[in-house]
Amino acid sequence: MFDIAFNTFDEIINMKGHGIYVWLVYSISILIIVVSFTITRMRIKNICKRININNASG
Amino acid sequence: MLRLIRTESFKLSRKLKSWLGPQLILVLVLIAFPLSIDISQYDLDKFYFSIIVISLMMTAFISTEGMFEEDFEDGSLEQEFLLEQDFYKIVLSKMLIYVFFIGIPIALIGSLFLITNGADFDDLPKVFSILCLSNILLFNLFSFGNALSINKGAMLGVLTSLPLALPVIILLGRAVRTIQYGEGFFSIIILMSGISLIVLAIMPIVISAALKTHID
Amino acid sequence: MYPYLLFIGITTLMIGWIWGVLYAPEDFQQGNSYRIIFLHVPASIFAQTIYYFMSICALMHIVWRVKLAAYLIKSAAPIGAMITFIALFSGSIWGIPTWGTWWQWDARITSTLILFIMYLGILTLHGSFSNLEKADRLMSILVIVGVVNLPIIKKSVDWWSTLHQPASISTSGSSIDPSMLMPLLISIVGLGFTLISLGILSSRLYILNREKNKKWVLEHV
Repeated sequence: MFDIAFNTFDEIINMKGHGIYVWLVYSISILIIVVSFTITRMRIKNICKRININNASG
Repeated sequence: MLRLIRTESFKLSRKLKSWLGPQLILVLVLIAFPLSIDISQYDLDKFYFSIIVISLMMTAFISTEGMFEEDFEDGSLEQEFLLEQDFYKIVLSKMLIYVFFIGIPIALIGSLFLITNGADFDDLPKVFSILCLSNILLFNLFSFGNALSINKGAMLGVLTSLPLALPVIILLGRAVRTIQYGEGFFSIIILMSGISLIVLAIMPIVISAALKTHID
Repeated sequence: MYPYLLFIGITTLMIGWIWGVLYAPEDFQQGNSYRIIFLHVPASIFAQTIYYFMSICALMHIVWRVKLAAYLIKSAAPIGAMITFIALFSGSIWGIPTWGTWWQWDARITSTLILFIMYLGILTLHGSFSNLEKADRLMSILVIVGVVNLPIIKKSVDWWSTLHQPASISTSGSSIDPSMLMPLLISIVGLGFTLISLGILSSRLYILNREKNKKWVLEHV
């Protein structure tokens, strides 16, 4: 159950011709999730900054 | 309720574009489609039904587009609500009148076009009945979309209600296959009648809730 | 709470994915392309679960007028759209080596596409009204009506069975080998925690945006 299914790094990348599909799906999905987190965090930071400016100006 | 039905039928009959327009548009679309393909190469009768179904869906949407908008804009919706204290009857009467004035005629037009394009004449009552039932479903769903968007344009109404209407299309496709294969029609018509009755009973409540939100 | 959930989510997800992609055995029929399952299945599950969550919130908003419930729907909808897109995208890429086509008019795929459009419809509807209380209520009504679509998605494979394989995991058991099932379950848990933490972040953003002029927000910030 815990034996690695591939012998070489090339096999991991290639996956007998299916590597392109597997890695494409995982990389794009991870990118989408990471971008969602980053954008949300940035927007929270921006809104907090704006609220603070408004607060300071009265 | 009878007063409302009378009022709604009077209102709709005076608006020629609202009840005649959708029927003419359906006819035009059904004429336009064969013109866009080489009919000597394609068996039109094989897929003409799906063209009718899609045209019917779009016609149902066009028909319900102004169902609440004009009444909302001129204040008569609010006035009716104050009179009746409830939207359910108003929506139900509107729905019945729209199905009667527009839904049934377009179902008949669709059935006639199908017969003229190769379907068996004996199947006319079957086709007509499933198109009528699907119109009840489509009119309810699209008027829900229009009740949500009310004066924000038809695009929003389509976007919100079209996904809900797609299962109706799948059901219609199944009904067609039962007509083509000549078996299982009875069970599908019972199923569609049941769904239509449920939708006709429940959807006006949902539409009322949406309309109430708009006038609150 | 958010950083802990995110940490648990990402760690679990990485364990599940690394186990699934590198350690799980090759499938005898689909070869290595089946390894997309560790992303596709969790994404598909949460595409629907988020909608169920939204419908519960919608009910709370309609019945008890809980303002926060509407905020949660508005925050969850983009996440639902995102994860539904991932489910569709991963499914269509998986389809290329398995079915020989990236898109097939299969019932479950089509229903998921409808679900994706529904998420976008909900967001568009909410964005169309300047009166946000009205927008909240209309959005809740639409979510409740839309939830009717979910059982259709679930049952669609049985109704119009085409190319799509039946659900591999169900309440009555699983048809997957334990060496593949374990990483799959871990991936589901991991993605769940990750999405919950994204949900917390997203709702924080929306609440701050919506309540920015309230005193408690000024104190909080």
